[in-house]
Amino acid sequence: MNEILFNNQVIVYLLSEALLYALLLIAFVFTLTLLKSWNFSHFTQAQFRLENRSYLVMSIVLFTLMLKMLLLPYFVYTIDSLSDLVPGAMCAAGVIKANGYGTMLLTLKIVLLFLSGLWMGINQLDMKTTTYRYLRAKSWFFFFLFVGLSVEMAWDILYFTQIQTTAPVQCCSVIFGQVGGANGLPFGLDTFKLMVLFYLLFALLFLSVLTYNALLSVLVAPLFLFIAYYAVVYVFGTYIYELPTHKCPFCMLQDHYHYVGYLVWGFLLFGLFFVLKGAMFSYVFKEKSEHLNRVALGLLSIFVLLCSAYVLIYYLKNGVLL
Amino acid sequence: MIVIENLYKTYNEERADAYPALKGINLQIEKGSTVILSGVSGSGKSTLLSLIGGLDKPSSGKIMVEERLISKLPDLHASAYRSQTVGMVFQHFNLIESLSVEENIIAALIPLRLPLNKMQKMTQESMELANISHKASQQVNALSGGEKQRCAIARALVNRPNIILCDEPTANLDKANTLKFIEILKTLRQLGKTIVIATHDPIFQALDFIDQTYFIENGSIRSE
Repeated sequence: MNEILFNNQVIVYLLSEALLYALLLIAFVFTLTLLKSWNFSHFTQAQFRLENRSYLVMSIVLFTLMLKMLLLPYFVYTIDSLSDLVPGAMCAAGVIKANGYGTMLLTLKIVLLFLSGLWMGINQLDMKTTTYRYLRAKSWFFFFLFVGLSVEMAWDILYFTQIQTTAPVQCCSVIFGQVGGANGLPFGLDTFKLMVLFYLLFALLFLSVLTYNALLSVLVAPLFLFIAYYAVVYVFGTYIYELPTHKCPFCMLQDHYHYVGYLVWGFLLFGLFFVLKGAMFSYVFKEKSEHLNRVALGLLSIFVLLCSAYVLIYYLKNGVLL
Repeated sequence: MIVIENLYKTYNEERADAYPALKGINLQIEKGSTVILSGVSGSGKSTLLSLIGGLDKPSSGKIMVEERLISKLPDLHASAYRSQTVGMVFQHFNLIESLSVEENIIAALIPLRLPLNKMQKMTQESMELANISHKASQQVNALSGGEKQRCAIARALVNRPNIILCDEPTANLDKANTLKFIEILKTLRQLGKTIVIATHDPIFQALDFIDQTYFIENGSIRSE
């Protein structure tokens, strides 16, 4: 059997995922009944039973999704720890490319993280009402979310069972470096234009959140995520590593760099999540939340300041830019 | 006003030992009135009281309290309803023995998240109303049965509820303390509170300020 599956972190990770999936499966079966039979205007025994159970089941979903959110950094930590077993891998960047499922799985996990957060937002709104106003909406949302979570579970298993410990993988410097002088940035951007775009999009996003322009926030947020990813990997990351050729999104998660990657990616992802959550509340449910917007702006501002500080400190120390 | 329509409560639903405690209850209790729920032990009167108080949920049927649908309140909102609208007095008082009278009463205000000085003022007022302020710092386990009952009444009143629900309030009291309790009930009635008392104590049948008595038998109700 593949020795990857005997790795402690992999065992803990897969068992945790399986356990949480089992809980979600139970909740999913109940959700199907709920979608089929729910009618709040009825005062029947069946309806009362649904109402009583819905609170329990939705609480199970809430706590399971919260635990799954914590499993995302643990997943990154797990694949990072596998770099000792996979030849050629220096960190998670090499391990994630060990087979065709890795990158897709990581992307899916981030998408599901966002969707889970949005589900929690609807749940929070529903809990505020006395008439279960958003119960159907959150049940349908969970229905589709569960489909995604099932795919994630399947890919988790496929990914870990198909990591080869005999075939060498490409290391991060090859994956993210500028091979043969080719520009790795999208749309033919150079570093300067990337930075201009990064700060402009941040300013636009900041303004859209500040003015409760939900539609603009929803449009700008994914674009900012896309550009911010390249900005961190191709510009800010090189200041974190203090090496112009080191372009990797994962190495900054390691202890050599004081795990600062968890902060960088964490502030970016959570900041954007709160932007989308605030936009959804405002646009779909017509509930404006000043608190959500403040959190979103705070997190994104810290992300931008943190990244910029690395550049500034490097410049102040060395008098040059990379 | 409390309106109950076609209310059923079955314990251990969907199990072999399912027990129907209430069967199709219909009744109306006017605002500011004092009502007795009478019946033998196990007839369902305490169950009915706990459903009105939002402590439990029915199997089916409707309970409206001050135009709010109580029987379908989600758990979080049921807690808010209990802490804002209802005061309950229990047969066994349900006090925290290791705390003082004042602490027991003020504890009921904690979920309302009021400023401390306001909570202390409300506690003082309710202790005076229940005639227990002279024992404010006394630990509950050192009180007599009657004093415990007055402490429980003060706790039930501290959130200034419109509805007072009493479950066998005199079952553990001697005659003198029962009469004191009745005096407090009269005061509460004068304050415009809606009072519902579940009891099988015959002393309540003879009281002149009782508006209505409902007799409960095997989970069904009949008005007398």
